[in-house]
Amino acid sequence: MKQKEKKTTPPQKGTFSRRGFLKGAGLTAAGTVIASSGVMTLKGQQFPPDKTLGPDVVNIRMKVNGKARQLSIEPRTTLADALRIELQLTGTKIGCDRGSCSACTVWLDGVPTLSCMTLAVEVDEREVTTIEGLATKGKLHALQEAFIEHDASQCGFCTSGMIMSAANLLKENSDPDMEDVKDATRGNFCRCGTHPNVFSATLDAAKKM
Amino acid sequence: MEKKKIKLPHGIPGYNLSEIEREIPVTEPPAWPVNEELKVVGKRIKRTDALAMVTGTAQYTADVQLPGMLYGRMLRADFPHAKIKSIDTSAAENYPGVFAVHVFDNMIEGANPKDSQQRNYPEVKYAGQAILGVAATSNVIAEEALQLVKVEYEFKDFVADIDDALKENAPVVYATDVDQEGSDGGEEIEQGLKSKGNVRGPSEGSFYGGPRGDPEKGFAEADVIVEGTYRTQVQTHCPMETHGVVVDFDHGDVTVYASTQSTKGVRNDFAEHFNLPKSKVRVICDFMGGGFGAKHGLGNFGVMAGHLSKKSGRPVSLMLDRKEEHVSAGNRPNSIQHMKIGALRDGTLTAMKLVSYGTAGVGLGAGVGHIAQAMYECPNFKSQQYDVFTNAGPGAAFRAPGNVQGAFALEQIVDELSVVLDMDPLKLRDVIDKSTIRKVERIRGAEKFGWKNPKEAGSSNGPVKKGVGLAQAHWPRFVNLDSTVEIRVMRDGAIEVRSAVQDIGTGTKTILAQVVAEELGLKTEDITVMIGDTIFPIGPSSGGSIVTGAITPPARNAAYDVKLKLLDIAAGRLETETENIITENGFFMIKDNPDKKLHYKEVLSRMRTEQLTVTASRSDDYGGFMLGTIGYGELGSVQFVEVSVDTETGFIKVDRVVAAHSCGRPLNIAQIESQVNGGIIQGIAYALYENRIIDKDTGHQVNANLDQYKMPFSFEIPEIGIEMVEDYGARSSTDATGIGEPANIATAAAVANAVYNAIGVRIYELPITPAKVLEALNKVKKNDDE
Amino acid sequence: MNKFSFYDATSIEEALEKVNSTVSSTIQPGASEQASVLKAGGIDLLDLIKEGLSKPEKIVSIRNIPGMDEVSYDEKKGLSLGANVTLDKIATNARIKEDYLALHQAAEKAATPQIRKMATLGGNLAQRTRCWYFRSMYHDCFRKGSSVCYAQPGENQYHAIVMNEDCASVHSSSLSTALMAFDAAIEITGQGGKVKVISIHDFFVLPSVDRTRESILEANEIITAVIIPSAKGETKSHYIKMGERESNDWPIADVAVVAELNEDKCKKANIVLGAAAPVPFLSEPAMKVVKGKIINEESATAAGKAAMADATPLSQNAYKIPIFETIIKRALLALV
Repeated sequence: MKQKEKKTTPPQKGTFSRRGFLKGAGLTAAGTVIASSGVMTLKGQQFPPDKTLGPDVVNIRMKVNGKARQLSIEPRTTLADALRIELQLTGTKIGCDRGSCSACTVWLDGVPTLSCMTLAVEVDEREVTTIEGLATKGKLHALQEAFIEHDASQCGFCTSGMIMSAANLLKENSDPDMEDVKDATRGNFCRCGTHPNVFSATLDAAKKM
Repeated sequence: MEKKKIKLPHGIPGYNLSEIEREIPVTEPPAWPVNEELKVVGKRIKRTDALAMVTGTAQYTADVQLPGMLYGRMLRADFPHAKIKSIDTSAAENYPGVFAVHVFDNMIEGANPKDSQQRNYPEVKYAGQAILGVAATSNVIAEEALQLVKVEYEFKDFVADIDDALKENAPVVYATDVDQEGSDGGEEIEQGLKSKGNVRGPSEGSFYGGPRGDPEKGFAEADVIVEGTYRTQVQTHCPMETHGVVVDFDHGDVTVYASTQSTKGVRNDFAEHFNLPKSKVRVICDFMGGGFGAKHGLGNFGVMAGHLSKKSGRPVSLMLDRKEEHVSAGNRPNSIQHMKIGALRDGTLTAMKLVSYGTAGVGLGAGVGHIAQAMYECPNFKSQQYDVFTNAGPGAAFRAPGNVQGAFALEQIVDELSVVLDMDPLKLRDVIDKSTIRKVERIRGAEKFGWKNPKEAGSSNGPVKKGVGLAQAHWPRFVNLDSTVEIRVMRDGAIEVRSAVQDIGTGTKTILAQVVAEELGLKTEDITVMIGDTIFPIGPSSGGSIVTGAITPPARNAAYDVKLKLLDIAAGRLETETENIITENGFFMIKDNPDKKLHYKEVLSRMRTEQLTVTASRSDDYGGFMLGTIGYGELGSVQFVEVSVDTETGFIKVDRVVAAHSCGRPLNIAQIESQVNGGIIQGIAYALYENRIIDKDTGHQVNANLDQYKMPFSFEIPEIGIEMVEDYGARSSTDATGIGEPANIATAAAVANAVYNAIGVRIYELPITPAKVLEALNKVKKNDDE
Repeated sequence: MNKFSFYDATSIEEALEKVNSTVSSTIQPGASEQASVLKAGGIDLLDLIKEGLSKPEKIVSIRNIPGMDEVSYDEKKGLSLGANVTLDKIATNARIKEDYLALHQAAEKAATPQIRKMATLGGNLAQRTRCWYFRSMYHDCFRKGSSVCYAQPGENQYHAIVMNEDCASVHSSSLSTALMAFDAAIEITGQGGKVKVISIHDFFVLPSVDRTRESILEANEIITAVIIPSAKGETKSHYIKMGERESNDWPIADVAVVAELNEDKCKKANIVLGAAAPVPFLSEPAMKVVKGKIINEESATAAGKAAMADATPLSQNAYKIPIFETIIKRALLALV
């Protein structure tokens, strides 16, 4: 709001060339070039000396699925939106946007985290693993294999979150029982009712790991 | 067309399997034997698209991002009934980042008043109704712009509760008579019925016909009569992916990415609303995150996205948020069912009468289905079903529309009858149910469950009481003839299957690959299935459990046609006659000399042209349709449930469920079991947890989220056993049908019957919460001040 | 979400310098447009912001302040939990499970695994009620400055059954049900590093006292730790929660019992009810029943009845009474 005059002409309506527009390049909530004040904020802006970030666009860095990434986001941007819109990692799903369904679960520094209830600014210099990063060197995680084998996806929209929750269990417990599996996925909502197959897939993957 | 006579498998293996002769067009392929003798069909086959889902690469509508794409959000009424006096959007239009604003001309949802003035804005009929929309460079900017819109309302009296709406002096939702078109697989809506106050109807018939016999005479003949009033709640669909579209209105050609159960439905709606030829509108649905009946048409959000894209000249993504999804995107209407049933001592039914009221909010479709009319033999039957209007979001088709509500009443009253007659409820069904498939399901299901004549209700010891119950379902076998498949075969070995049909999550892609692979002697991995795009030949909507029975026969027929052409090539190369060649394990081989064979790719490489294309459409049912395009009564199911009820706290746990089901020739056992699991779990959710709660005084839903709208998670999932019964009807070249709806119908009634058996008191209203259990057990003292 | 700036504080002093408002005061009519509020795990705060109920201009994170997420034990002082200790850490700490079972059980049953890993103890105590009228931007309720409680005549199945005459909301922290039963103390650091320690019994505020908030926290204060007195030899505890769902849910009713025992004889017990009142509710009538008695079916049942004797249920929540009676009885019996 109190951004000092750094005026550039905002894009004019109707004069817009689609061809020249790269996918996701600053069109989104996260990377918007149009501040609500109408003042254009340039990417690459330095952190203000008083350490306050934003409210306009700020730069952050995070390691996502092993790759260093730079993002320009507003402090209000959630990690889920930053991943999906800025980085086009749309495997992470938003089901409720309130932390009630866990579809948006990613690992933040290895810990299962609700990306819809995490501000992207807080992930600066941290490490994120999403469903897209679970397979390593082209080889599927044993749980992904087991999900295919056990028909553990119907519509598939909860699958990413389910896998990120259950794969975390397998990280921490190599010999889980049914109670452990239910406990690990007790926050993951599935409307198709795929749970029985999620359970059997997870127990089976544990055996094969 | 020239006909031929062929023999097809008919009946239930292990029970009454035989053959039946049918006269069918000569173009139809020969009969497949029963599943046991097939290679790919009837097996557990991995989903062809599972890899995309488990790696996060599957693209849903919510994931579509196009160059220059804008984000649309809608302003929604914050009062349930009002005239809009003025709307000022100027500040929103001038807000930086906003590219288009559109105000709806009229109400594009719910019922359609005859007096078109009623339909025009300014008129709001429920809290949360969309009024206008904004497209901006991000969702947050669009939302900020919406906050700048000024709407001036003139508030009117409203009624959001069905009991209040039925009262004499209730505020009236529609001043004139209304009609509404039904959606595919939705509850039938009888056209032209009159309204009085908020009550429209009665509707007395269905596709099974109207009333029959003389119920009063039947009740006079009865030895016993059971009556009761059963109530069910409003349930919202809650698909994981909310409703939404991305519309790209480019140069007059429009592409719509839609999270839909009907690509053709969205295409048709869009063409109609924007006055475009259908050929100018392309609808794409690659993956979709669940629909359960509510995602058939374009929806008002789709119309809005179309206008915003047209105005801005940019693609517009408009996905509903979770609150909008609950409030505006459809629901299963509630019901109040007064039911009366008469029977002889031996169980024979003499009469049945049903009067029902239900509200689909500002929409129609609150009937309770035809299950009471169709499931049991009863010579005297009458039903009167009324729609009641309330100032609430419109209902929509929801997995076995009407029948889930209807089964809750019917299957409990039959259970009550068994108690009155002192009969095992399973045995009572043997008397009153003439369906052969359900008879076999009762036998096999009971064995798997370990069903014994239930102990006396409420007789187990200790505060936590166990109980068992069963309930049955019936669902007609619908077919949609607008089901066409194209197969493209290429010299390099590629085989593509194309249709506009979409995959709602049931595995449609996979069953198409299976059927084609079976016919050609290949594996599903050899087949590429491309569906969910209206540039492909027309396909059925994913509703009414129609898809499998509609689209797999043309897929097989097209593959058969391809095979005939390939056999010619192979016969030439193998120097034999085509009838001597069989296709197996990827080879074309001589039947009596399997060493003489050609790999299928070699056969394809010899094609005269680079590409061979064959299309086939759904033929009429073998033996003719039984009712219009409906072959009825063939999708039965019987479900057995065991519960534990804590009589001190009222908490219920469903311990285990055994479900015996049929779907003609089962195609993919894994996918069928997944759907049955889903139907049971949704049924448990409906029985014990779900309830859309609208505050009567303000007209707002107070639990429009996934936190307070209760649904089951991992620990609420029971042990589930599934018994699939093959049931050959000799109805088409695949003889397969769907399973989605029947899986969901019986569960809530079976849970309710088990709860009765556990505690000895029947609960007549859903959801069966701890509060209802404790009240039923007289453990709740009403506050004296009340 | 409204636009806000973000400040990552590295010390308590720094956070206190930057913050000028409680989250609660941002929800009130006429809230400052320059509100700067604290954030720890952020689950409750982001929910309020996403619902449009709170519109802070700045968020000051205390999540990364060193030393605030430690669990320590001292024979004399007792158990000290830093305010940034997550619910997950409480649920998995071996000493807590051993010596403070009810707290372990409350943490283990709270929310979902993901939320338990994100949400902090301080945030849990400071969270606002989940009353659906309070959480709705369409309902200008008593807690948000009007004179109307929509729940009293409305949809009140999850609401308060005692002390519900002004506002029928229930406090949503199930951890505090257990903490109150342990007579925990809350360490609050104010401006200039001034530390005060408040008994949890004095921490929560009834709507009749101040409708705008649920705790005594002021804008220039931070919860920095929670201290639980050391476990005495014969102290036993138990916690039971009933929600509609077992997997994850807010309580319909929960109870924590902490008792000093001599064999089966109860020298003294704290019995605290959650989801019964706008604050965690210490049931003195129930405590009186069991004091000095052998804990058995009879005394435990009597305690449950005593706890509910003065309940004033609303139109839809009288069913909570038999549930409370039962779980109080069962929690007491679990001790012996």
